[in-house]
Amino acid sequence: MTRLLPRLIAFAAIAFALIWVLFAARNTNFGPAIDDPKNFFITLLNGLTFAGLLFIVASGFALIFGLMRVINMAQGVFFLLGGYIAYDMQQKIAEGGGFTLLPADVNAWEWLIPALVATLSIGVFGLGVQQLLLRWNQGQDLRQALITIALSVILADQVIEHFHGGLGRSVTWPGSIEKFVDLHVFGIQYSLARLTVLALSLLVGALLWLWLYRTRTGMVIRAGVDDRQMTSALGINIQRTFAIAFFVGSALAGFGGAVGATQAGAATGADGQWLLNSLVVVIIGGLGSLLGAAVGSLLYGLVFTFAAVYLPSGYTNYAIVFTFALLALVLAFRPQGLVGRPG
Amino acid sequence: MTKGWTAKRIVERCVGVVVLVFVAIGPAALTDYWVSSILTQTFLLGIAAASLIFLSAYGGMISLAQTAIFGIAGFALANLVTTDATGGQNLGWNPWLGVAGAIVIATAIALVFGALASRSLGIYFLMITLALGVIGFYFFLQVDKLSGRAGIPTIRAHAPSIVGDTSAAPERLYYVALVLAFAVYVVIRYVVRTPFGIALQGIRDEPVRMASLGYNVPVHRMLAFGLAGFFASLGGVLYAWWNDLMDPAAIDLNAIVSLLVVAVIGGLGRIEGAWLGAFAFILINNYVRDIEVPVLGGSFPTVIGFIFLAIVLVSPDGLMGLWDRVWSGGRRRGDPPEVAVDVQRSAPEASPS
Amino acid sequence: MKVGKWKFLLPLGLLVAGSAVATSGALATSAQSSEVKIAILSECKGAFGGAYEEQIGAVQAAFSQYAGAKPKNKKKPSAGITGGALGGKTIKIVGYGCGDETPALALKETRRLMEQLGGEIMIGPLSGDEGVAVANYAKAHPKQTFLNGTSGGQQTTLKVRAKNFFRYNGDGAQWNAGTGEIAYKRLGWRNAAIIMDDYSFGYTSGAGFIAEFCAWGGKISKRVFVPSPNTDYSSYVQQLPAPDKIDGYFWVVGGSGTGPSVKAFTQAFGPMDPKKVIGNLFFAFLGNDKELAPQLVGAYMGGFGTGPGLQTPAAKAYRKLATKWYPDFNPDDGFYYNWWNPAWALTTAMDKINGDLSGGHQKLWAAMPRVLNAGFGKIVLDKNRQAIQDQYPIRYVKKGGAITFEVIGLIPQVDQTFGGQFSEKTPSPSRAAPACKKAKLPWMNKIIPVKNGVPQR
Repeated sequence: MTRLLPRLIAFAAIAFALIWVLFAARNTNFGPAIDDPKNFFITLLNGLTFAGLLFIVASGFALIFGLMRVINMAQGVFFLLGGYIAYDMQQKIAEGGGFTLLPADVNAWEWLIPALVATLSIGVFGLGVQQLLLRWNQGQDLRQALITIALSVILADQVIEHFHGGLGRSVTWPGSIEKFVDLHVFGIQYSLARLTVLALSLLVGALLWLWLYRTRTGMVIRAGVDDRQMTSALGINIQRTFAIAFFVGSALAGFGGAVGATQAGAATGADGQWLLNSLVVVIIGGLGSLLGAAVGSLLYGLVFTFAAVYLPSGYTNYAIVFTFALLALVLAFRPQGLVGRPG
Repeated sequence: MTKGWTAKRIVERCVGVVVLVFVAIGPAALTDYWVSSILTQTFLLGIAAASLIFLSAYGGMISLAQTAIFGIAGFALANLVTTDATGGQNLGWNPWLGVAGAIVIATAIALVFGALASRSLGIYFLMITLALGVIGFYFFLQVDKLSGRAGIPTIRAHAPSIVGDTSAAPERLYYVALVLAFAVYVVIRYVVRTPFGIALQGIRDEPVRMASLGYNVPVHRMLAFGLAGFFASLGGVLYAWWNDLMDPAAIDLNAIVSLLVVAVIGGLGRIEGAWLGAFAFILINNYVRDIEVPVLGGSFPTVIGFIFLAIVLVSPDGLMGLWDRVWSGGRRRGDPPEVAVDVQRSAPEASPS
Repeated sequence: MKVGKWKFLLPLGLLVAGSAVATSGALATSAQSSEVKIAILSECKGAFGGAYEEQIGAVQAAFSQYAGAKPKNKKKPSAGITGGALGGKTIKIVGYGCGDETPALALKETRRLMEQLGGEIMIGPLSGDEGVAVANYAKAHPKQTFLNGTSGGQQTTLKVRAKNFFRYNGDGAQWNAGTGEIAYKRLGWRNAAIIMDDYSFGYTSGAGFIAEFCAWGGKISKRVFVPSPNTDYSSYVQQLPAPDKIDGYFWVVGGSGTGPSVKAFTQAFGPMDPKKVIGNLFFAFLGNDKELAPQLVGAYMGGFGTGPGLQTPAAKAYRKLATKWYPDFNPDDGFYYNWWNPAWALTTAMDKINGDLSGGHQKLWAAMPRVLNAGFGKIVLDKNRQAIQDQYPIRYVKKGGAITFEVIGLIPQVDQTFGGQFSEKTPSPSRAAPACKKAKLPWMNKIIPVKNGVPQR
């Protein structure tokens, strides 16, 4: 019975949500999906693309946590910093002169190189942090969490100090991307930029999977996630593995930041939002697994996007309650996350 | 574990008495600003920090949701008692009913949060409570019917007469806060000696064994969380009166981290650390304002961040931990301090099903 | 044992030190009555943090011009001033507050300036929510005086009505005067949608457009609210009617969201038609014009109570005076103008009463000028100490190869009530208020065209 109840509740919640969105959503902005399938699909695509960006950032968070039990509280600041670095780099290469560039003035390299620079520099920075502050107190989880919290406080202030006072800055997509494609479904013209984000996240996911499941380092990481002590007892250089994992996890935050800065701009406040986003994704999905990050991102991304749109108008600012409800449901019935394993 | 009257305890008691006397006569000797701002804030911030340290010292759980509970109480009070404010529901309740309502609502939500988080341990618990705390902030930021960005002003005008309104002498709120802070301290010291408190400490140390002895570990933790939430709600009500305005920025990520900083500076292992940490934090906040950090640039957050980092690296159990070590240093060197900070959990971390 | 003595001396020592610190704070110097203590609450963090020096500079420049003070550093206003007297009392600037747009920090800084540092008169703050908090604080502290910086929430004066709070600038709704008429008459809109930040300044700014557009007979068919701050605008922009189903959009998204929200629109519906969008002051200020103007040449937007580029004699004279003291700042910027005016008004009032603040500030309040012949038009305070002010709608133009913005109209003497539409009894601007209804506004059909900075009266 105790196994049946949570499943029943979850099933009921999902069924209710589906019925609402598909058939019964009167007084909302678009109405139910059967009346307005076009906007339903647009919202679906928006949710998927947001989930993609979530996955990029949260997978880094999950990797670091799963392997080293370190909550990288600075993940949000790394995201923001990545965004600003990408902006500065793009300004330099494309000669923006301090103004937001127009897509017509940006070619593919002028986006890729800044994104790459942001990714690598945040990766290196994260590695430095790990070597300096976290390497020598391995195993003291709470102490390491406090250290990363202290770091996030200092870094957030330093970002304001050294990067445009924390003001909003946007990176620009290349002109070839900032346009519409005809999806041939319900006459939808969808932004290629958003599809690119989705594609990038799928690419990141694929690369991560290949790395974790087809390389030796990845195998060690998975073993370490499973059983740290045993892995190091086997004589594997666990410190080297930790360093690599932290580098990759931070680099993912940096890359996410570059993409995020292009989609929605980088500004103070983004660090807090993306820390929350990463936390929610891994709590829902389960810690320490790629699949968990993917499942969590998908669920959270969809709920977040649909709540903003399919609540009755006049109540759309209660969308945050749905994030909470999602979190509460998962924690109540599966505290280790949907894909997590107990212990 | 009964403790005898060691020299350390005697000294601590003496210091405590002296401090109490000092703050009791404070308003007569100190400036208005010290009374109304520095010390009153120390008392109420200390209460909030005590709710955190209660959970960490005796429950082994570091919760970052205390700030949100604190905020929920303050916002509930503001919505219930104000009549003409530029924000909120303006329900115009009787001040005492409003206080009761605020505390009940905040404690109830604390129990819900506790229920959600109680089956997780260590940093899982930290993460979940952090997420809940930040959600609390976003809730009040975005739901403008209950606050919105501008917040809810004119709360003090609807405070009970014992606290007085905005034109009342600051001593009134000062003494109310002092009495409440003392009461919270005494209650916590008492609770940890009751069967509930002792069981809680048992759960902190040996959850599996306690579960096999028949204790319902998650429920126990949830109740402890609710009690801590009760303390935090007292702090929230005091804050609403003191600040005369409840706005979401008072419980944002910065505020959540600040409360943790207060607790860590004071010492996560001892309740006295709550007020010690609050006092230190407020002093630093007030008098180190205009500092320009050399080389790096940045301001107060960088300074407090470095202080926090230094404490975590050097003395993770804070100032009270330093004090403890001064006393035990002469005789038993090498004993790790009794604090939850770097306890390693190698046992299964989710609930024993 | 060495440690032994320590255990007793340490706490004792700390206690003594602590009491010394505490009581030294108690040795407050009694108020020297030959000084007047001024506090300036500025902004150094958040979206407007860049205006920190500018605002301090404006206040101090006005003191230099009218009260005989001198800047210590012409490039850095926060270095302070020397000399200067208001009504015979030496100016002592007790401190510069540093806000970040949140009421919590604004209140904290106000307390620090007025309680810890003993300020008597404060000039500030900048942002809408902060202004409401400071006005409420002012109401609860009748022994001091508070002059607004540039905060523009409607309730700050209309609802709070603090006797010791003076606002020499218009609110967010007043700043958008003229836009409704431009939409209805010039652009021919009949049906508009509005997207606004979901907080008090967003509502106030939107109210200015709605009240005027609907007064003319226009209809608002959709109101979309965006949480602020926000990063992903796509789901909100998607709720707007498509460009072929609506005559125009009023864009009230500010802070760091102006650019990204417009970007989200272009990603959803294609490039924006300049004839189908009207922005508020955020389109022109904070550097957003650099991002938006190239895409939207010809679009109109609401102003900031200033007339950038205005060439009237008063404007030219004001510029000359203002740039004398801190030449790096642009006196046409609202963050400068709206801080110069209250400081100037204060000087006039203090001189009138010979600096006599004994027995409370009532004499000062009575002496605060009710009319200021300011650089960009006459400012008249209404019964509620709120400014009635000339407003200047703006347009993105192409001038000599460069894309910039300029003033294209002048609406004289816009008042906060919009001719009685807003009052203490009407609901504050919110998601549902104001409702859309036809009315008569005092300035209908009275927009004076401005060509090349010269009003064509």
